[in-house]
Amino acid sequence: MNIDSFHTVILPLKDKLFRLAYGIVREQAEAEDILQDVLLKLWSKRDEWNYIENLEAYCFRVTKNTALDRLASMAVRKTGVIDPEKENLFFVDNRSPHTEMERKEQRSAIDQSIGMLSENQRLVFTLREIEGMSYREIAEALAISEDLVKISLHRARQKMKEILSVYHKDE
Amino acid sequence: MNSEKINSLLEKYWNCETSVQEEKELQTFFSGNSVPEEFRQYVPLFSYIKDEQSISLSDGFSERLQNAFGVEGEGKERYITIRIFRPLLRIAVSVLLVVGMGVSFYFISKQDNRPQFVETFEDPNAAMQHAAYALEKLSHALRKSETASVETIQFIDDLDIDWIAIDSLNKDNPVEIDSVESEE
Repeated sequence: MNIDSFHTVILPLKDKLFRLAYGIVREQAEAEDILQDVLLKLWSKRDEWNYIENLEAYCFRVTKNTALDRLASMAVRKTGVIDPEKENLFFVDNRSPHTEMERKEQRSAIDQSIGMLSENQRLVFTLREIEGMSYREIAEALAISEDLVKISLHRARQKMKEILSVYHKDE
Repeated sequence: MNSEKINSLLEKYWNCETSVQEEKELQTFFSGNSVPEEFRQYVPLFSYIKDEQSISLSDGFSERLQNAFGVEGEGKERYITIRIFRPLLRIAVSVLLVVGMGVSFYFISKQDNRPQFVETFEDPNAAMQHAAYALEKLSHALRKSETASVETIQFIDDLDIDWIAIDSLNKDNPVEIDSVESEE
């Protein structure tokens, strides 16, 4: 049963767990390291899986905590830094130099505002917007109440809206 | 989707009243090329979300993970195989036990039920005749052996053995001459 859970529950989550870690540390290699650590850690505790109520949520919590620990041990907090290569890939549709620059600015504004969110807000925002998880799933994954999930997400979205409209007015 | 719908969806979105499905619709709408001017300001947010969604593990990760698991426990493969088959082994062992117990019970009960003497005669007279014949045979054999032993004793007596000479060979425990002689 343990082996089965590893293949049916934990391994399929690896991309989500990776993006959660990535959302926290903002570095591909670092996030992969974290995911590997998490998977090894989970595997070494396989005897305890039967006693864990929600294995999926447990995986998210372990990943979150591992990533936060790692972030604390990293000297510089690396929010708002994005891979220039990826950025180019993404803005491939609009090649005109003017719009490209404009979008780059907007993008960095978004990155900065996400960096300004509180830890809970950022995690909730990541799990909801990027992974499309339900409020209940997020609440279980982060071990917080559903209400707190809604409040955090509401604040995060309001902040985004604000920043986007400020940026829009400035233009 | 028309502007009105987008507006109402966006309004719901900012207030966290949209479902996951509706949020997906918004993402699809904003990732299209034909976003009307009035909504352009929100494109960066949805671009960011789409961009983040496309982040994935590098190609070598699975291999790397396998290596990590390999290093963690050499020879763990065998252990894993045993773990996979452990439930099956349990079932096999219990089936074997039950079958073994069943078979032995079957043989034991069969043995116990088998009668030691089987009545093969239906007519009591015939049984009587057979029994008389068997007994007669037995008595005949006994009589024959009795005659044989008497004959042997007679034969030894006729040999006229010098018992004293034989006895002198065994001085520690001499046979009483009187008893030997009296027998004669």
